[in-house]
Amino acid sequence: MAKSIFLQSDNRKMHAGWLLLLLLCFIVQPFDSFANTSESRGIPSAAVLNPAAELWRDVRQREQLTNGTSQVKGVDSGVLINAYGDQWRKFRMQQLIPVGGYLLLGIVIGLALFYLIRGKVAIEGGESDKKLLRYTSYEQLIHWFIASIFLFLAISGLIILFGRPVLIPIMGKEAFSVIASACKEGHNLMGPLFLVALILIFIKFVRRNIYQKGDLSWLLRGGGIIGKKHVPSNFFNMGEKTMFWMLVLVGSVIIASGFVLIFPVFGLGREWMELAHVGHAIGAILVIGVIIGHIYIGTIGMEGAIEGMKTGYCDLNWAKEHHDLWATKAEQQGEVISNDKVSRLRDVSSAQSLGGHVQEE
Amino acid sequence: MGQFIDGPLWTFSLSVFVLGVIWRVVTILIAGNRSDLATAKGSAGKGAIRTVFSRFVPERTVATRGRIQLIAGYLFHLGLLALLFFAKPHVDFIAERITGLSWSAMPHWAFIVSAEAAFIGLILLWLHRVLNPVTRLLSDLDDHVGSILVFLVMLTGCLALAQAFEPLRLIHLLLAELLLIYFPFSKLMHAFTFVMSRGYTGATMGRKGINA
Amino acid sequence: MARMKFYCDPERCIECNACVTACKNENEVPWGVNRRRVVTINDGDEGERSLSVACMHCSDAPCATVCPVDCFYTTQDGVVLHDKDICIGCGYCFYACPFGAPQFPEDGAFATRGKMDKCTFCAGGPEADSSSDEHRKYGSNRLAEGKLPLCAEMCSTKALLAGDADTISEIYRKRVINRSASVMARGVSYRDASFRAPHSASGKSSAKE
Repeated sequence: MAKSIFLQSDNRKMHAGWLLLLLLCFIVQPFDSFANTSESRGIPSAAVLNPAAELWRDVRQREQLTNGTSQVKGVDSGVLINAYGDQWRKFRMQQLIPVGGYLLLGIVIGLALFYLIRGKVAIEGGESDKKLLRYTSYEQLIHWFIASIFLFLAISGLIILFGRPVLIPIMGKEAFSVIASACKEGHNLMGPLFLVALILIFIKFVRRNIYQKGDLSWLLRGGGIIGKKHVPSNFFNMGEKTMFWMLVLVGSVIIASGFVLIFPVFGLGREWMELAHVGHAIGAILVIGVIIGHIYIGTIGMEGAIEGMKTGYCDLNWAKEHHDLWATKAEQQGEVISNDKVSRLRDVSSAQSLGGHVQEE
Repeated sequence: MGQFIDGPLWTFSLSVFVLGVIWRVVTILIAGNRSDLATAKGSAGKGAIRTVFSRFVPERTVATRGRIQLIAGYLFHLGLLALLFFAKPHVDFIAERITGLSWSAMPHWAFIVSAEAAFIGLILLWLHRVLNPVTRLLSDLDDHVGSILVFLVMLTGCLALAQAFEPLRLIHLLLAELLLIYFPFSKLMHAFTFVMSRGYTGATMGRKGINA
Repeated sequence: MARMKFYCDPERCIECNACVTACKNENEVPWGVNRRRVVTINDGDEGERSLSVACMHCSDAPCATVCPVDCFYTTQDGVVLHDKDICIGCGYCFYACPFGAPQFPEDGAFATRGKMDKCTFCAGGPEADSSSDEHRKYGSNRLAEGKLPLCAEMCSTKALLAGDADTISEIYRKRVINRSASVMARGVSYRDASFRAPHSASGKSSAKE
């Protein structure tokens, strides 16, 4: 290519020759990084020399030249080159999607393996005939409130993130774009509800989640996962407390960055948006990973663990095994009630007296 | 399918809704009440009107003991009312398909805020209904179907917010049509009958000279 | 097979914004959306240069890579287009694009970006060529009529070049050669005055002339 140019310039003034050669060396330079990877996408790449690539590479290298003015008014319209766009793209495509995907998949597979090895953690003493009030109905209410919103946000977010590699091959672009649009709109609308739910959760549960003396030994003994012995803990154990603080702190990052992302009209530039997206995605993957573990313990991982959130009452033996500091104290204060009374309070068939009572009112 | 949802089914569900509501209201009205032979100590009409409005403000013990239901209830009902009648897509739809005349819609941000308020309210109310032993006992299938149907209509509406994908609009419309058909035969009728039940109590009490 | 590219010559661009206006008029873009913009560096100072910027129709477009619904495609002519029926308006292409090409009709608060709109190299969209649907969604399809994008066609100083990359490279090379020749003849260094030169040097050389 360089040779043909040289031939064309043959009829130019001879004394310009040396400068020309210098210039040619300057023009014939490697392509911009965008042009370089065209083979990877199956686009026919004729060896095209694009003068624009060279110009824009120069623009990129000179930071003081990227900010100018433009008669077109808008966010970032005076900025010539999007400084971190390339980094953001690499983060999303090469780190977030593969690493995030395999991390979540790994957590699910790991938990499945753990379940196969360890099985369901049973209540060793068996179910007793006594129960303890673990969560009031308000506490259950806000738990399931945040849970339902979280599930919706997590699923819709994961569909947007992993839909292209996972769902498009299955259902095609047209069908997926309908789902993706639904997820995006739903995600944006439900997002602020998560803030409301998180505030309610924080106010209600923060006091019981402050780290205490026994928490370190709980951590050192692996929370009782290793070996059969249970580790003493208070109302919430070290793991639950850590999950709470993670949800609060990482959740705040997710919420704050989410607000940046859903308010494109706030006038924040792309750099803020890219940064917010990175924070939002990393935070979300972390929290989803932790919540998968939380759901595992609540459902198939441990006998009696979900009772407190389902009925408000937990088994006394379960409480003694998993939260003995709290259970002992509650027992001493006479908060233990019999199974019969609990079912009378809760069960529809045997709750005639309660129903009658309500009707009398 | 899309044409059916958009055309005949819409006409059918709207007719069922209108005729059903009229039928329900008329049957309640013609049931009448026994004539009160006692001397009136006050105006029944005044008492009825008074009570219809005074019951919007809950009694003190109800307000404190049922605080969640009160807050969530108001969030849900006001949010739903606002987004039902003052959201731009709904105003346009009503003008085009029913009334032929439109009114000014609220700005988009207010639409979203009211939708979020309605979602907070409805999710909390239904969870409370399920989790609280007393309300669970008092709820029958109708309550759950009504709540879930309204929730699904709201959810599909929120998923269709982009207003760019026809299938999403049709799902929202289909569920709204099912809701319209279900409405007159369910407790959702309280949207109309609350006036009558409050009015009845108010009239009875007003006639007796009691501020109820 | 052609590979369509834009090139804006900063030595020639006079920031008249005719390309912006031409694009807006030809494609009837929505209010608030400008597919093309002229950016001026060192406005009013020594070494002022302007560049007309729109979608550069990258050979390996970052927007297409990050799009969660895969709505981008590259035509036979190397033009990067997108399908507005599939686009969900997430804004990721805007984060990834080096040039700020993707535009969004912001018709309100709360995430209503709307469907993305960008320069199509006057090549329309996936709909049938020159159909009314195509025109409504994407604007003109001049390429189907055998014409080049209007912004470049009506550039008064021919700073903005559009067309096959080989051709515009040739034109550009000839310009560079001519300029370097005139440098030798008149003692003025275009290299010094060019976009990529430190602007302290550029003032001196233009003052000499």
